[in-house]
Amino acid sequence: MVATGKRKSETSSQRPIIEGRGISKFFGAVTALNDVSFELYPGEVLGIVGDNGAGKTTLMKVLSGLYKASEGDLLFEGQPAHFNSPKDARKLGIEMVYQDLALAGNMAIAENIYLGREPRNKFGFYHLGASQKMARKHLSNLKIHVKSVDQKVEELSGGQRQAVAIARATAFDAKVVIMDEPTAALAIREVGKVLDLIKNLKDRHISVILISHRMDDIFYVCDRVVALFQGTNFAESPLEDTSRSEVIGWIMGTKENPGELSHDRVE
Amino acid sequence: MTESSEGQKVADQDNHTLETHTRPDGLALRLLPYIDKYGILIVIFVMVAVLYVTQPDVFLSWRNITNIFKQTAVNAMLSIGMFLAILTAGIDLSIGSVMMLGMMSAGVAQFAGMPWPIVLILAPLAGMGAGLVNGIGITKLRMPHPFIMTLGMLFMARGLGNLISGGVPLTGFPDAIRFLGSYQIPLGEYDGTRFNLPVALVLTIVVYIAFSLMLKHTVLGRRIYAIGGNPEAARVSGINVDAVLITVYGICGFMAGIGGLLLIGRTSSAFPTAGTGAELEAIAACIIGGASFFGGRGTVLGVFGGVIVMGLIKNGLNLNNVSVFYQQILIGAIIVIAVFLDVLRREIGTRK
Amino acid sequence: MRRLPGLVSIFALTMTASIATVSAETIVVSMKGPGAGNPFWAAVEAGAKAMGAERGVDVIVLAPPTESDVASQISQIEDQLAKGIDGLVLAPTDPTALAPVVNEAIADGVPVVFIDTIGSNAGVTFIGTDNQAGAALASEFICNGVPSGSDVAILTGIVTQSTGKARADGSREGLTACGMNIVAEQTGEWDRAKGLNVMENIITGNPNIVAVFASNDNMALGAAEALKSAGVLDDVLLVGFDANPDAADSILAGEMTATIAQNPVNMGRFGVESVLKLAAGETLDPVIDTGTVLVTSDNAADFQ
Repeated sequence: MVATGKRKSETSSQRPIIEGRGISKFFGAVTALNDVSFELYPGEVLGIVGDNGAGKTTLMKVLSGLYKASEGDLLFEGQPAHFNSPKDARKLGIEMVYQDLALAGNMAIAENIYLGREPRNKFGFYHLGASQKMARKHLSNLKIHVKSVDQKVEELSGGQRQAVAIARATAFDAKVVIMDEPTAALAIREVGKVLDLIKNLKDRHISVILISHRMDDIFYVCDRVVALFQGTNFAESPLEDTSRSEVIGWIMGTKENPGELSHDRVE
Repeated sequence: MTESSEGQKVADQDNHTLETHTRPDGLALRLLPYIDKYGILIVIFVMVAVLYVTQPDVFLSWRNITNIFKQTAVNAMLSIGMFLAILTAGIDLSIGSVMMLGMMSAGVAQFAGMPWPIVLILAPLAGMGAGLVNGIGITKLRMPHPFIMTLGMLFMARGLGNLISGGVPLTGFPDAIRFLGSYQIPLGEYDGTRFNLPVALVLTIVVYIAFSLMLKHTVLGRRIYAIGGNPEAARVSGINVDAVLITVYGICGFMAGIGGLLLIGRTSSAFPTAGTGAELEAIAACIIGGASFFGGRGTVLGVFGGVIVMGLIKNGLNLNNVSVFYQQILIGAIIVIAVFLDVLRREIGTRK
Repeated sequence: MRRLPGLVSIFALTMTASIATVSAETIVVSMKGPGAGNPFWAAVEAGAKAMGAERGVDVIVLAPPTESDVASQISQIEDQLAKGIDGLVLAPTDPTALAPVVNEAIADGVPVVFIDTIGSNAGVTFIGTDNQAGAALASEFICNGVPSGSDVAILTGIVTQSTGKARADGSREGLTACGMNIVAEQTGEWDRAKGLNVMENIITGNPNIVAVFASNDNMALGAAEALKSAGVLDDVLLVGFDANPDAADSILAGEMTATIAQNPVNMGRFGVESVLKLAAGETLDPVIDTGTVLVTSDNAADFQ
């Protein structure tokens, strides 16, 4: 079901950091994913597109350890990987940025970044000073500017929250960051900044999987795009070899005459 | 791509960086954090002033002040446990009954002739046991809301307490057991007045400082706040939310047991009706103190303030011989006003 | 912020509306429950206030919001002791739990008497109904009304309380003495609804019952409903205790047969009178009986 056999020559020579082989996921009688395969290469931004219900989010949850695949194999750096919880995935450096961001609004930026992995002092107590210091350094590495790391997350704009969520995902040696619709809830002006942040991750040689409906996002940051349709691989192509109208066609489940689709003009 | 007007506004003020934008804040908005933190102290100050005017000879007498703390100590213990549950956006309806269970456990042990240290430790341990059962029920039995599990425990704990005691008051505790609830440390005499410091007050202060430090400076404390703020965020961050919740309800039960020890000290009796409705008073103190039912919000100082406000209302109205019915009305009104303030605060907060 | 003064002003209003006038002697009457809504405590309050007026002393009547709120009653007394009072008339919600604060009062030199329910402090006079004698009076009425050997039932109060136990003991002894067959003795916990439920169960198992003694009128009124539903009310002698107005109505309507009147007015009157005597240096008998009276259709109108 692969649309084009071509792949970027620079990445195809490398070993994929994550590879999925024939992954299926059933919820009772419902088949959410059926024999889906993909590869993600180091430093690559892979776009995953598909209509609602195409299986994008299920696939991401399998990758991040929230779900277990019913069938198929997941390989991490060539080795089989079995995730029982997000903790296992995180140990390998796979981090997820959730669509609803999953931040505690009542807590400070620094505390959110290290939530669940709080720095402790030598007596085992929470080390607020260390978390503030680490947060400041990490945010400045990512070129994210905030008034203060003590600011509560609920006081931030959507784009700033997205930035905090990404900062959290990359706080500890992340190799892969999975983002589910990171720009869906953002004001237009903030979208560009989040996309630049994704490019910034790529420059730091972190692989990114980007789930998005927005062709602008996909074509701005992605190296390659995979289209899912009704839970199966539908098409795949390097960005340079395809067009918006073709990708939109894939989302809708067609590979013919994409130029005629009215959606292209709307988008 | 649709754009909400709010999002647009945010975008307009945001000058192309991910910097925090400063907004034209109103006075109310700038005062808000202070009211959040210290509003309760203003309320207490005014109440003290009013009470002083109505009862100048009595109200600020050392005896009356220590009375207030003696009377609020039990509620203080229950409220601080309840506060943890409320911080996680939960609730513990069982603490009144669990307190009674703790008292009865101590009573039964006392009558079985056990040495006093065992009797003493049994009340909080029984409370903690009931609390852990609450926590396990809430998490592992996947109760839809802590309300359900702790409502069940409200009945079970009281039933169990009556079962082990035969439903009769158990009396005659030695001074060692009553120490926490009844002993007064003599501070000396001045100008014909004897100054005594109730141990219950010392214990209250120690416990509140300990809880304050725990919530601020331990990983557990921060995670309790995080779970209250967004349980899903806590879960996906790898926090073992179930373990934290079980710990919280265990502590809540433990504190109910400590409250039971204070009540035993105060009354020299473990009696079947002990703690009836006490959970509601604890909830009231937390709410008045600014803890939010949505979870993740509130301070130990606020809860302490809430406890004191409740105590002042009762003490003040008692001193002025006002019917207890007014106490109920007043406490009810203050709860509603306190929550209304919380609603206003949230509204102003989201309007930013 | 703007709302806070509102909250405070409610408080201030309640306070200022209530500042009591200070008089020379202040006697505090601490009842188990509020007079409002309970005729028994209302009568105690009326008796105490009447005696206070006769003697020219200030009588402050206090009660916790419910009869189970032990902690409130203790706090109320502590607060009054802090103010300084000249006598305490106490109906303890829990005799042992109230003992420490009674000791505090005694240590302050405040004269104390118990009314209604005897406390656990040694040497403090009890003024109240001899409940066992009252229950015996009720038993005597039943013994005279139905043939010896008949099936009878007793609804007890909470027998872990002294009042509940005394009434249960008095009725059991009285009914056994005249040869009645007690087929059931169960608790309705002083509660009307529970009295109804328990009576329903008893009557189902013992259809030949001809007389019932309920340890208070609330349970008797509940039992009357159960007997009415079973269609046997007219055949059963139903005796309560307390002579509250509802019971008097019920007797006049021909449903309950009789009840035993305590004398709550006397409890209030004697209570205030007794602490004044103690304050004047007199001594009191350890127990002062306020008396019990059989109430039937002949005199029920007096208790409505």
